[in-house]
Amino acid sequence: MKSNLATLALAAALTLPGFAMARPVTLTTTLSTYGGDGAYLVLYVTDASGAYAGSLWMAGGKSKYYEHLSDWYRATGGDTAQVNGITGASVGAGRTLEITLDMADALFDAGYTLHVDAAVEDMRDSPNEVAVPLTTTGAGTPVRGRRYVASFAYDM
Amino acid sequence: MKKTLIFLVASTALTAAIGVPAWSAMRAPEGEGLWPRVALFEEGSQALPLLRVSDDDDRDDRDDDDDRDDDEDDEDEDDEDDRGGARNPAPASTVAPPQNGLFGTGTLPQVKVN
Repeated sequence: MKSNLATLALAAALTLPGFAMARPVTLTTTLSTYGGDGAYLVLYVTDASGAYAGSLWMAGGKSKYYEHLSDWYRATGGDTAQVNGITGASVGAGRTLEITLDMADALFDAGYTLHVDAAVEDMRDSPNEVAVPLTTTGAGTPVRGRRYVASFAYDM
Repeated sequence: MKKTLIFLVASTALTAAIGVPAWSAMRAPEGEGLWPRVALFEEGSQALPLLRVSDDDDRDDRDDDDDRDDDEDDEDEDDEDDRGGARNPAPASTVAPPQNGLFGTGTLPQVKVN
């Protein structure tokens, strides 16, 4: 009986930190009415040294257009494995893309930055459309993009 | 005796009539002597460009075919993209998010476009 309790306690001790290591975060991106086709957007993270850490979402399914998301493309070489399972449709002008992800706690208050690159057919590419530091205090604060993004915010 | 003289004169005249032109032809400069053959080749050489032009046309046609093949290749590429070929990423909910350390327990992303 004692050994069962010990095993249960050990399992709980090992499991609970795992639950605490991630939390649902909602990333909300609202596009301006720029008067063009649907925008390709990629949301990705760089670490404190500015190195690419990984991708969170790709809006746009055709990899042949990814080169226009130029900062992301330069960092990844256009590797589609980076966005397998986190890819959806492009986002029309004036629409709002809302993504809820289970994000690792380690990304917050540790020098990580969330970037958005944007591209629209027959319009200018916009690398680093948005760049926001991932901090717990910055959650819920909307920021404006450079060209196509009217506002971007992360909530948790 | 008269007959002999007549034969002699006739054979000499015949020999001269046939032999002199033949001898002249053999002594003529090479170019002049080959003129008929040159003319023949020149005719042939005039015919060759026509053939070459025809060949070029054929080649151009083949080039056009190649262009069409390229177009078809491009179309195939587009088709492949449209079909969600290997080069396109897997859409959300079809596979798990990448193990890049950004995601927690592997819960699938929830997406909404308003």
